[in-house]
Amino acid sequence: MIAYLKITGVVLAACLLQMTLLPRYLLDPFQPNLLIVLVVYLGLKMPHRLAGVAAFGLGLLQDSFSGIYLGLHAFSYLCIYTLLSGLADRLYTDNRALFVLVVFLATVFSALLNLLMLAIFSVSKGVYASLLPALIPQALVNALVASLFSGVRLPVEEAR
Amino acid sequence: MRNLLIRYKRFLMTAVFLLAAFLTYALNLRNKENANPLERAMMTVTKPLAGSTAAVSGTAGDIWSNYIDLLEVRQENIELRKSVKLLNERMVANNEAIVANARLKALLELKGAVAIPSIAVSVIGEDSSAWFKTLVVDRGSSDGMLEGMPVVAAGGVVGRLVKVAPHSSRVLLLTDHASAIAAVVQRSRARGVVRGAGGGRCSLEFTVKDEDVKVGDTVISSGIGGVFPKGLPIGEVTMVKKGEYGVFQTIEVRPAVNIGKLEEMLVLVRQSIE
Repeated sequence: MIAYLKITGVVLAACLLQMTLLPRYLLDPFQPNLLIVLVVYLGLKMPHRLAGVAAFGLGLLQDSFSGIYLGLHAFSYLCIYTLLSGLADRLYTDNRALFVLVVFLATVFSALLNLLMLAIFSVSKGVYASLLPALIPQALVNALVASLFSGVRLPVEEAR
Repeated sequence: MRNLLIRYKRFLMTAVFLLAAFLTYALNLRNKENANPLERAMMTVTKPLAGSTAAVSGTAGDIWSNYIDLLEVRQENIELRKSVKLLNERMVANNEAIVANARLKALLELKGAVAIPSIAVSVIGEDSSAWFKTLVVDRGSSDGMLEGMPVVAAGGVVGRLVKVAPHSSRVLLLTDHASAIAAVVQRSRARGVVRGAGGGRCSLEFTVKDEDVKVGDTVISSGIGGVFPKGLPIGEVTMVKKGEYGVFQTIEVRPAVNIGKLEEMLVLVRQSIE
């Protein structure tokens, strides 16, 4: 129970950082998305039956603090989690470099999926003009953050 | 006689010395302000010695007082550093208060200028992703906020409220791709729709080629749609392009408000969407 409370604390801290402190000190495309790092972590290292729900929840949380489309990130994060949890058995998930690489790819995948969803279902014409230039810097920053936290283990994993 | 002298030799010698001393004193009374040769000689002889002694004494005194001072300097230094830090903090706080005062004054002037009831809000958060442009403000439905209410700052239009919670709300900025505001060019009255283009930019769309729009023109809200009151400054035209094909012009607009530095804004409460 305490482990799950700790995880909730980590998630809330990540959200607050993304919403308040990071935008104040970092320019737009260079703000890391800490939640996607968590989703990748769940996908690679936590094959728990509730981890998919957690990934979806993280997406909803992201949507609550970002943009106006509730469910956009929730969908893309769930897709990423499903994909990674399916591949996790065939990958050497303890490798730190793999974690960093997957975070980079997941960021790119998530952005492209969001772009597709926005292009098909919303009237946000020209959103690609904001999204595409920011894509690689964002993915690189996320990969950098992932490299910093790649050695960290979540309390639930430690308990197991 | 000789025996007498020998006998009283001691007394006589004493008397002579006393007399000599007395005469020395008496003779120098007339010339008391000037040094006599003896005095001059003594002064000349003793001067180097007195000078050296004084110098040594002065140096020793200085060293001692410096040592004593040094003992106090460290403590004094710590106290001075503390007071410098305190004064710096006060200076920063004062500067911040001056800037906040100017900002709030501008907001108050705006509140007086806009003939619509308004509520002041402060920014407490920003969008957590790089490609959407929203802000979180510190008031919500419990303060009378509703989705769709226009948000303005001292310079002009900021955006409109979306996602209102009891104690906080989110503002969709006019630079977001999902934002669209009915607008008119102030000089030529050319109509169009200001849409967000991301990266702190907007574009004026649906303005036909025949309309007269020039770089530097001010774009204001047209009031059409009922969300934004008429006449609020939206931005300034920075680029006009009339292509060979198509019906509309390509017009880029720079927002009148510096979106990156927003801290306090006004929500116009009369304009509500049912």
